[in-house]
Amino acid sequence: MTALLAALLSLPCVYSADADSRARLSAAGISRVCSDADLAARERLETPGIQARAGVASPTRSPWIVANGWRVMRRPNAKYVYDVPAGKAALAAAEAFAYGADAVLKIDAADLASAGAMFTFLEQVPALDLPPIADLAVVDDGSAIAAEVMNLLARRNLLFQVVTAPSSQFRINIAVGSREYPREDAADPSAFALKIRRQLGDDERSLRVYGSEVVICRLTGDARRIRLQLINYGGRDIEGLRVRLRGLYRGDEALVSGAGRLKLNDHVIAGGATEFSLPRLTTYAVIDLDAVR
Amino acid sequence: MDRRDFVRLLAAAAAAARASAARDVAAEETSQTPVGYRPHSRSEPLPALRPVSRYAAAANPGMPGPYPGHVVAVKSDRVVDTSTGAADDKTVREMMARGMRALTGAAITADAWRKFVAPSDVVGIKVNCGGYPHCISAYEIVAEVVRQLSAVGVPLTQIYVYERFQNQLDECNYAPHLPDGVKIVAAERANRNVDNSGYDPATYLEADLFGEEDTRSNMMRLVSERLTKIINIPNMKDHGATGVTGCLKNIAYGSFSNVARTHQRGKSHTYSVVGTLAAMEPLRSRTVLHIMDGLRAVWHGGPFARTTRYVFYPRQIMFGTDPVAIDRLLLDIIEEKRRAEGVISIWDRSPGSLKMDNTRARDADPNVNIIIREPGHVEFAAGLGLGVYDRAHIKVKDVVVD
Repeated sequence: MTALLAALLSLPCVYSADADSRARLSAAGISRVCSDADLAARERLETPGIQARAGVASPTRSPWIVANGWRVMRRPNAKYVYDVPAGKAALAAAEAFAYGADAVLKIDAADLASAGAMFTFLEQVPALDLPPIADLAVVDDGSAIAAEVMNLLARRNLLFQVVTAPSSQFRINIAVGSREYPREDAADPSAFALKIRRQLGDDERSLRVYGSEVVICRLTGDARRIRLQLINYGGRDIEGLRVRLRGLYRGDEALVSGAGRLKLNDHVIAGGATEFSLPRLTTYAVIDLDAVR
Repeated sequence: MDRRDFVRLLAAAAAAARASAARDVAAEETSQTPVGYRPHSRSEPLPALRPVSRYAAAANPGMPGPYPGHVVAVKSDRVVDTSTGAADDKTVREMMARGMRALTGAAITADAWRKFVAPSDVVGIKVNCGGYPHCISAYEIVAEVVRQLSAVGVPLTQIYVYERFQNQLDECNYAPHLPDGVKIVAAERANRNVDNSGYDPATYLEADLFGEEDTRSNMMRLVSERLTKIINIPNMKDHGATGVTGCLKNIAYGSFSNVARTHQRGKSHTYSVVGTLAAMEPLRSRTVLHIMDGLRAVWHGGPFARTTRYVFYPRQIMFGTDPVAIDRLLLDIIEEKRRAEGVISIWDRSPGSLKMDNTRARDADPNVNIIIREPGHVEFAAGLGLGVYDRAHIKVKDVVVD
């Protein structure tokens, strides 16, 4: 299979009700189109973005992010559908692509141009199938509280792998209801996620992001290289986002939706970690780096 | 940049640790600490703060500079028309000249300025725009600083008036008051946490204060990479998280990113963060002069001044190189005004005064705190070697311009 074909297959498809809308999608550059038959038996995902919650979060300081990546990680073989209002199609497409979700997008006609631009961009991202990198494991008992823990961990860029039983591969295995992680502690998922973060230790994390709290990343890789995908849920371009990766990596550019290839700035390898700044993050970016041997 | 560039400021960290260990004793021994005031540290340990900088301190850091424990306070009843709030430019100039000469002992004003800047310097003027429209760094003072810098040979193109947020600078609009060539710059367009390019990724304070994900506060690139000297022009203002916002708060929180994270949900970590930021290099070494604008002041609701309700008129300008000493005097100025108004002290920590995050209640009632304030941040900064806190050891030279 060619890399281009692989990339195309990992794209979500956009729902089209009739021939007219199919033509409009095609004109916008969206070739992955699906119909009513493709909507059957799909789990509906939430509209991605940020929300202000009184007393809990503010849009500028600690925004409440609505993201679906953790859901896809939890059930990677499930089929999903987004039904998003105007302004959200490109973000939903990027999110589905980043997590390799089998997803159908129902979008607003007003988003045709932005969705088309995002699809055109995603088609140009080189296919690279690498395993996820995780710092800890979450034992999924199928409960709602485990789901909320995963949600909060993902929003903090605490990289986890979903497992069905504790894994010796990880120093931290979170089983909600265990002695170490009692159910009552998990009743406050935010505090629970913070507890786990501190158990892990920030210096031990594979990924840190500085300069925004509305960017969620997906990190995949093997011994030779890694791929970092960044999704900006905030709705505003971010300049100078700083990224710290545990490990030593070389690479000097990012593919940024709507901006093309951008050179990474202030690249530093020190103390067992790699840091760089992304000059601009629109909705989505992909950074491929090679391990330094 | 290599690993050697990524050096922690161990000296600063060690000083912070010493200050932390000593502060309980200091709080008890300092006669001016109000009875009943419990420093932040009594209730819980201070957060771990890790300054990271590749810059070494200058042989003689700007703070506390050549005049530790010395403050010149120049007063004039005619400098502000209190019925309109308008300042008299000519009087400001005279106050500035006499203040600078009194501070340095120079007979000629230009010689006083030459003690701080040379023609080769690239000079930043840190203004304060947070109190727009009623209490910002006065146009007259900023313009006079530029005039004097130019007079001693600093090219106008090497003078930067700066703040963190461009939208605040736009509101204040210093440009019509300054000669062409002076640069007016900010690090971010607005307070939205989306512009990081104006900050130095290698110079920052690392701290996890409330469990926030973004644990870094980065120094402005302008400060670390361009300026060689900084002149700080704070206002005399109350502040809901720090008690007062003066020299230390203006230069620290006005030169670093992501600082609003230090105070939220009723609690303030400003006690240790303000001084720690101010002590970071190269900010500490390059900040050579503080000119506290007390033409107008704010006794409640600060750092904002959207109405005149809490504005008053000390009609004075303070000069010094010691930010702690000036801020120590500011504590008294704001406290005395609040006492005169019959409202709670800036040192008040009672739960009954706290209406967490309720800015509307705070604005309506000067007996409301939205955060437990930390005026002890000034004393903490003294523990970092930034200046003299003990009032008995601060020499104030009063100058009156009739």
